[in-house]
Amino acid sequence: MMFPPTSDSSKARWLFAWLASLVLWIAGCSNNPYPQPERLVREDGTPWQVRYSALPEDPRSLDPQVSYDSVSRRILEPVQECLLEYHPMKTDPYELRPCLLEALPERLDRPGGGHTYRCTLKAGIFFQEDPCFPEGKGREVTAEDVHYAFQRIADPKLESPVLSTLQDYVVGMGEAFEEGRKNGRYDYSHRLSGLEVTGRYTFDLHVSRPYPQLLYWLAMHFTSPVAREAVEYYDGQLHGGETRPLFRFHPIGTGPFRLAEWKRNAFVRLVRNPHYKTTRFPEEGWGGDREAALRPLAGKALPLIDEVHMTIFKETIPIFMLFRQGYLDGMGLGKDAFSSLMTPSRELSQKYRERGVGLHRSTEPSTFFMSLNMEDPVVGPNKRLRQALSSAFDVQKYLDVFANSVPLAAQQILPPGIAGYRKDFQNPYGYNLERAKALLAEAGYPSGRDASGKVLELTFDTAATSATERAMAEFEQKQFEQLGIRVRVVENTFARLMEKLDQGSFQIASGSGWMADYPDPENFLFLKYSKNVPPAGKNESRYKNPEFDRLFEKMAAMENSPEREQIVHQLIEILAEDVPMIMNMHRSQFGLTQPWAPQVQDNPMLEGGFKYAVLDVSLREAKRSEWNAQPLWPVGILAGLFVVGAIFGLRSSKKE
Amino acid sequence: MIVFAYVWVGAFGLQGDGLLDKASLLAERIWFQNALIFGAYALLACLLWRGSRLERWVSAWKRLRRDWIGMGSLGLIVVFLAVGTLDLVQLPIKEGKQTALDALSAFVVTESGYSAPLATHTLSLSNPTKLIGHHLLGTDALGRDTLVRTLKGARTALLIGGLTSVIYIPIGVLLGILAGYYRRWVDDLVQYAYSTIASVPEILMLVAILMVLGKGLVSMALALGLTGWVGMARMIRGETLRQVERPYVAAAQALGQSNWKIMTRHLVPNVMHLVVIKFVLGFSGLVLAEAILSYLGVGSPVGTASWGAMIDASRSELSREPMVWWNLAASATALFLLVLSLNVFGDSLRRAFDPRRG
Amino acid sequence: MLAYLIRRLVFSVPIVFGVMLVTFFLFFVVQSPTAMARRILGQKATPQAVENWLHNRGYDKPLLVNTRSGEAVYDTLFVSQMKRLVTFDLGNSDVSGRPLRDVFASGVLPSLLITVPAFFVGFLMALGVSLYLVFVRDSLLDVVATLLCVALMSVPPMVYIIFGQYLVAQQLNYLPAFGFSLQGLSTVKFLFLPVGLMVISGIGAEVRLYRALFLEELGQDYIRTARAKGLSSTRVLMVHVLKNGMINLITVVVASLPFLIMGSVVMENFFGIPGLGNVLFSAIQASDFAVVQASVFLGSLLHLGGLLLTDLCYAWVDPRIRFQ
Repeated sequence: MMFPPTSDSSKARWLFAWLASLVLWIAGCSNNPYPQPERLVREDGTPWQVRYSALPEDPRSLDPQVSYDSVSRRILEPVQECLLEYHPMKTDPYELRPCLLEALPERLDRPGGGHTYRCTLKAGIFFQEDPCFPEGKGREVTAEDVHYAFQRIADPKLESPVLSTLQDYVVGMGEAFEEGRKNGRYDYSHRLSGLEVTGRYTFDLHVSRPYPQLLYWLAMHFTSPVAREAVEYYDGQLHGGETRPLFRFHPIGTGPFRLAEWKRNAFVRLVRNPHYKTTRFPEEGWGGDREAALRPLAGKALPLIDEVHMTIFKETIPIFMLFRQGYLDGMGLGKDAFSSLMTPSRELSQKYRERGVGLHRSTEPSTFFMSLNMEDPVVGPNKRLRQALSSAFDVQKYLDVFANSVPLAAQQILPPGIAGYRKDFQNPYGYNLERAKALLAEAGYPSGRDASGKVLELTFDTAATSATERAMAEFEQKQFEQLGIRVRVVENTFARLMEKLDQGSFQIASGSGWMADYPDPENFLFLKYSKNVPPAGKNESRYKNPEFDRLFEKMAAMENSPEREQIVHQLIEILAEDVPMIMNMHRSQFGLTQPWAPQVQDNPMLEGGFKYAVLDVSLREAKRSEWNAQPLWPVGILAGLFVVGAIFGLRSSKKE
Repeated sequence: MIVFAYVWVGAFGLQGDGLLDKASLLAERIWFQNALIFGAYALLACLLWRGSRLERWVSAWKRLRRDWIGMGSLGLIVVFLAVGTLDLVQLPIKEGKQTALDALSAFVVTESGYSAPLATHTLSLSNPTKLIGHHLLGTDALGRDTLVRTLKGARTALLIGGLTSVIYIPIGVLLGILAGYYRRWVDDLVQYAYSTIASVPEILMLVAILMVLGKGLVSMALALGLTGWVGMARMIRGETLRQVERPYVAAAQALGQSNWKIMTRHLVPNVMHLVVIKFVLGFSGLVLAEAILSYLGVGSPVGTASWGAMIDASRSELSREPMVWWNLAASATALFLLVLSLNVFGDSLRRAFDPRRG
Repeated sequence: MLAYLIRRLVFSVPIVFGVMLVTFFLFFVVQSPTAMARRILGQKATPQAVENWLHNRGYDKPLLVNTRSGEAVYDTLFVSQMKRLVTFDLGNSDVSGRPLRDVFASGVLPSLLITVPAFFVGFLMALGVSLYLVFVRDSLLDVVATLLCVALMSVPPMVYIIFGQYLVAQQLNYLPAFGFSLQGLSTVKFLFLPVGLMVISGIGAEVRLYRALFLEELGQDYIRTARAKGLSSTRVLMVHVLKNGMINLITVVVASLPFLIMGSVVMENFFGIPGLGNVLFSAIQASDFAVVQASVFLGSLLHLGGLLLTDLCYAWVDPRIRFQ
């Protein structure tokens, strides 16, 4: 045919051999998607333990004073330890325990109102080894490093998101920011008056008015010490033929892990800090049912594993593809995965139970709701209409359809675990269609029509980009339309929806939610405080109620006490009656763990908690090869096809 | 035009909502929508009637009639057209929207969740509930009948393809002929315009238009149309350059016919067959584009039954236990059949118009 | 030739300028810089933070014309951005602050590792198949194969990917379903599935196009002459048609070459390949103007590069064009 007959048969043979070896090689390939870890064995000869986990996107910034999103926190938490930390097992109520500090700060009264928090750092804590320090050894952490961190928060060029809150309380912080802004450059030689360094390890933090929530800020990485050398060394410039990364992409902390490698769009690798000794595994705090599993770990040196490999997944589907193959040690159960791994009775499906997969539910300290615009001429002045809308929305059914009933239907603005949360509280305008119709009639729209007989039409703004989100919007629309009114769904991009929420150009908007910065009722109730109407804050409903404001202000300055709890209860009732928003859910984080990596901590205030993680590497190896068996029949069929093709080819070329 | 007015208003920070509201109010009237559909069909009929007087078209039709593959695919296209049209025609039956297809499929009940084709119970391992009705191709996550959803998808495909073509074909043909006939600076200008538009990424254009006008099939068609005329203009310009060399143009010019007349009476009929072929083949591209855009999250809006959205949703359905495959199978098959028949018919048309090249 | 080249290059300048103007317009009609800052700084940002952010990046300047008294009319965002781009200073991402030079440089290799093999494998396979189809033209095999090609190109690419991942990576466990690493030979196992799927999803259209090009060549007068001279049809096909058809084919194909750098959005999203394919798309979604602008700028240069290459090919094939 196309080749002279003599060379044809030899070429066919070559081709056949080549293709056959290709097929065999592919068959011999493992489907393991990971590159080699840092090492294969530890110094003592036991296997190097790598934990594989998932990240939804690249972290934006790893600067401890700047980054605010949960993805960045997931990497910062193991690298950059804070002055205080949350106890990994105690969640009801949450408990702070010292980390870099010797003990919880001592509170003193300050002349002229306000308080002074007296803090002492643990001695002998070192920054991770890095070329930015002399001889590449880590330097000891001192109170100066904390002072430097606070200065950085006030630096206008750094754009720290917490400045606006802290400057209201910490003495001298706002002035320092203004001065830096005026001069176009922040002067680090000026001492910050609010943070007084009193010794090598001791410092006083001055707040101008009572702010009990300050302790929570000390448990966040914004206030964690930073080495000035590191910031100056990692400047993003060319030095001796090599470009150093920016400090914001190369954090150097005191934590149990250091950032070893970060390939954008691909993965982040953390490797253990061999000199870590700041904290140890807690001695108590878990329930009796976990005693057997956790007692052996009590008081052990941390971290328990050697490396954390976080793969970046822009799509959620590959996450449970890899989990199923045993290549991820745990996964958060997202919307897609709920339905595929769980039965409607909220149990793990048979197959996964047999595999020994563990299911853990923890409710995030978060609340989601639909905002109703109090400044809208239709929705705003009509309390009955708002109550009717709220009563028409069947949250439980919504959660049944879209989340296999996993999240908690929200009855109040506070999520569980926060002081003042009322376990027995029922939303007075929860789902009740008959009542909703009656309320709508009272609101002036009997059967959804106004006095002139025109059907009431409301707009509902959502941010819907995926198929699931689209279906959710459709569901919500149908719920409201049960009242006989018409609801027009407007799909926005996320940015546009936020803009609308900020400007107040909406009637009903989905996508409002709040995830606790710290577990205090103030952090939720301030969402309805009148001074927090955008642009000042996140009171997107534009709810203004003088009585609410008065109680809120009083409650915010108090320490937790039965009296404070009483006020919080009152606030919850006011909101429930006024319905500035339609309650949706407290998001529950459902997590799956593989049998070789059981869950140790379940505190939603922690982001990963990798220093407490445990791993059984040999079990993982065994399960992986069991779950990824490669059947040979397709290779057989292919080879058969090649043989037939080759014979056919040879024959026809001979004929010619 | 509405876009440009709106963009203009928006650029100067004025409130443009009023204008848009009026336009959308008009567009939501039932009679207006139905009039648009019948208008579109009338336009198509006019085009065919005009074509039937061209000798080239008549001989092409004769050849096409003998091409059984082409005729078969034409038949399939007509079926899709009919289904889509049924779902486009609004009936003044009830409050809210009700199309002819909705009325025809009113007997199909909605279940509580997934169910397999012809199953008697919902898809669930632990507590399957009995279905109310029968579903030939099963139901989706919200319990809607897959077959009905798939049929309704034809409307979305048709709307995207049709609306976009209505936008890009006139722009492309007009600019192409102008550039090819006048040459010189007109040609330079047109070439500049399409080189520039072709260099702006479509996705940016699309997202920008969707964000200004809001998500909807019309904005999607606008975005696709405003970027899609480039290829058409380029092709028509080339063909016009060739036609202008022909003696009939010189003869018309010698007879003192106006330029406008030469373009509309002589040039347009002579390039029209290329437009038809490109329209048919381009239509299939647009149907595929809708699917890809739905996957990227900038596709059809909430509530629209679209094959792209169904395929997108099927990715998570495939990894369920037990697997939900029927939504993917139904939507992919429908999409495949329409695109295939459009492509095959386009090829047949090309052969019929130009037997030598076939 | 040189003069022609220079004229083409000069003609590209206003195009790039136009593209940048359109991009700027599209981006900022959709959202004000303030909205963009809010989006980037997240739900919890305060107005002070937003203002500070805008100031630090120069987004507090007027967009196109400066009407503030005491300031130059041209002291605007657009002018300052264009000035930077002209010197190929791409700047930093608005979202992550990462230098864009890094962003693009690190994505090129993964993108090329997928697109180049897919392009060449697809090209060679399509070439072989289409030549064979031309050889057996008008037979039943030709009709069936052409129909098959049309069928292959009628399937949306996601469907191929969904099936490929499901079958090869999840049921047979032969290849990784996801991931990418640049570690010597093991990189190859990550490439098979995406490259293979890309070839399959593209091959139908290619075969159809190449077949049409060859058939057109076959209809030319010189082929008839060659036949009349008594040359065998194999020889006509292999020598004349292949040679002349290839020239046409290359001019068609060459325009797409620069775009191999841009990668493929869908493939990169599904397989987690850190390429350039989704840089623009995710930048639009994240309102990262710096990235959008830089990638549109580079994209338009690539596009014009492709046009230039095609022109050069034509000029090389057909000398008459040079004197135009």
